[in-house]
Amino acid sequence: MSDGEARPDHPAESRPEDAALATRGLTRSFGALVAVDAVDMSVPEGELRAIIGPNGAGKTTLFNLIMRTIHPSDGTVWLGGRDITDTSEQRSPHLGLARSFQSNQLFTNLTALENVRIVAQTAQAGPFSLDLLGRGKSVAEAEATRLLERTGLEGNADVEATNLSHGDQRRLGIAMALATDPDVLLLDEPTSGMGPTETRATADLIDAVRSELGLTVLLIEHDMDIVLSIADRISVLNQGTVLKTGTPDEVQADDSVQEAYLGGMKEEL
Amino acid sequence: MIDGGMLRRIESRLPERIGGLDLQDVRVPVGLLLIVLLLRPIVSSSLLAGYEQIASTILIWMLFAASFNLLLGYTGLLSFGHALFLGLGAYVAAAGHTRFGLPWIVVAAIGVLVSTGVAYLIGRLIVQKGAIYFAMLTLGFAQAAQYVANQNPFDLTGGSAGISGATPAWFVLDRGEKFVAVGGLQLDWYWVLGIATVLGMLAIWQVVRSPFGRTLIAIRENDALARSMGVNVDRYKVWSFTFAGLFAGLAGVLLQLNIQGTRLELLSLAVSGDVILMTILGGSVYFFGPPAGAFVWLLAEELLTDFETLHLPLTEFSVVSVDLSGVLTYWQFFLGVLFVVVVLLSPMAGIWGLVRRAGNRIYGVIGGLIYRV
Repeated sequence: MSDGEARPDHPAESRPEDAALATRGLTRSFGALVAVDAVDMSVPEGELRAIIGPNGAGKTTLFNLIMRTIHPSDGTVWLGGRDITDTSEQRSPHLGLARSFQSNQLFTNLTALENVRIVAQTAQAGPFSLDLLGRGKSVAEAEATRLLERTGLEGNADVEATNLSHGDQRRLGIAMALATDPDVLLLDEPTSGMGPTETRATADLIDAVRSELGLTVLLIEHDMDIVLSIADRISVLNQGTVLKTGTPDEVQADDSVQEAYLGGMKEEL
Repeated sequence: MIDGGMLRRIESRLPERIGGLDLQDVRVPVGLLLIVLLLRPIVSSSLLAGYEQIASTILIWMLFAASFNLLLGYTGLLSFGHALFLGLGAYVAAAGHTRFGLPWIVVAAIGVLVSTGVAYLIGRLIVQKGAIYFAMLTLGFAQAAQYVANQNPFDLTGGSAGISGATPAWFVLDRGEKFVAVGGLQLDWYWVLGIATVLGMLAIWQVVRSPFGRTLIAIRENDALARSMGVNVDRYKVWSFTFAGLFAGLAGVLLQLNIQGTRLELLSLAVSGDVILMTILGGSVYFFGPPAGAFVWLLAEELLTDFETLHLPLTEFSVVSVDLSGVLTYWQFFLGVLFVVVVLLSPMAGIWGLVRRAGNRIYGVIGGLIYRV
């Protein structure tokens, strides 16, 4: 199902070249299981697109395919008008595509500052730099300090990632993704495991940062309050296919979505 | 057991700067100087080895172990063939000097370069393999090199006997003591070696504290994350392997001079294995861990192989001598026990972790007393 063609009010989206991020026929099967099945998606520049769907719908696999952490069985990934399907994963941040992980993926025994600094240094110096004299150190460190302040972690700069609270670890993941200086940001359940106050604060942070930096954001999120409050549009994923893409109102009103996914959550909405 | 948080809490009790001086910036250079200054008097004491020659050997192995730790401790790569680079440095220098009559300084430089270049090429070939295949491939290359050296191709390597007499005229042996003759002066070889070792270790330290080295640590911590953050993980690993080869080659060149030749065992699996054990014994998470491991390992080896009789002074006039020759033939067993005990007590942090912990405890007690006064 192609969300682009189905929307005449977004004619530009029919061409993957015109979206900030697009997929065409993106498919990945693991043996007999088709985890992501011919997904056509177009996210225009500056949009915050939430991806929702039941467990096992293929949301994280879709992220892994877009980042090329895993390779698609079929289909293409487009970033800023360019087919990036065959470029390596480690090129992504240098092309303006970054992610934060669902599970806390951090450099655990390094301090919060070093976690961000290493990413900032990589963004500034490129995928490889034989900087043995520390020439780029102060610039990267200034950028890392700024991002820790922006994400509310300035008090924990010298704390090792493994000793941070769960919520701080999630925010550190966001700070690291931001340190790549992205155009398109993929966030995989950034609020999972957080209490209500922390969740709200993190959602506000994401919303604020994306308008400040003009980011295009793809957000996997289970908390429907968050999704409805900050998403421009929502794509509903079910069994590896896009069931429906639309504004929060459109998605809530859609019968097939109600049936397939939101049935159990109707009262919550 | 020691974990990162505990280490941090301990370290937070130490002062970080005195006046305008950041202690982190002088800790390693001062430590290295202290090692060179104190090592020989310590091992010469009658309680320990009782003679000086082993001090030079220990210095060289400290450098070799530190070069290995670039891989294991700082990049998370386990190589079973690090002897290859020690042997390459030694063999190229010795063969160049004896077979082609080139000045020793020139062949030493060539030895380090060859070792570095071979490390780069092997690294390019194997870093992207999984951990087990990487380890096996390094082992394979080292074994192949030992086989070739044993065959004595073109009469270059001396076969099973190795190369002997590969010393320049300025390297003087006088009644078992080694000297370096410069101008009219005879410098004690130990101090010349000490300077070379300190410079080598300082260079390693600069590598690990540089942005390049911090990225290696990130790769050790989580290479999948590093990759997704845009780090060219394989290339960093290749260069880590290259630097490890460079400094191992330097250790090899120095070792060649120290033993005035080469021995086939330099390329052996035993050497590759010893440097792994020393590094883990000493504590791979610390810069000073592998040197500490080399020190303890070589000294223990020396004590366990050479001392057959233990003299216990009971009173001023009676000394009980216990014949240990029967027990100490099992010296490798005792080294093994030492290794197992330390690793069980202090995994990752090793002997150096235990020393630091004890040191910090003493410091804490003294600090507490001062505070109370």
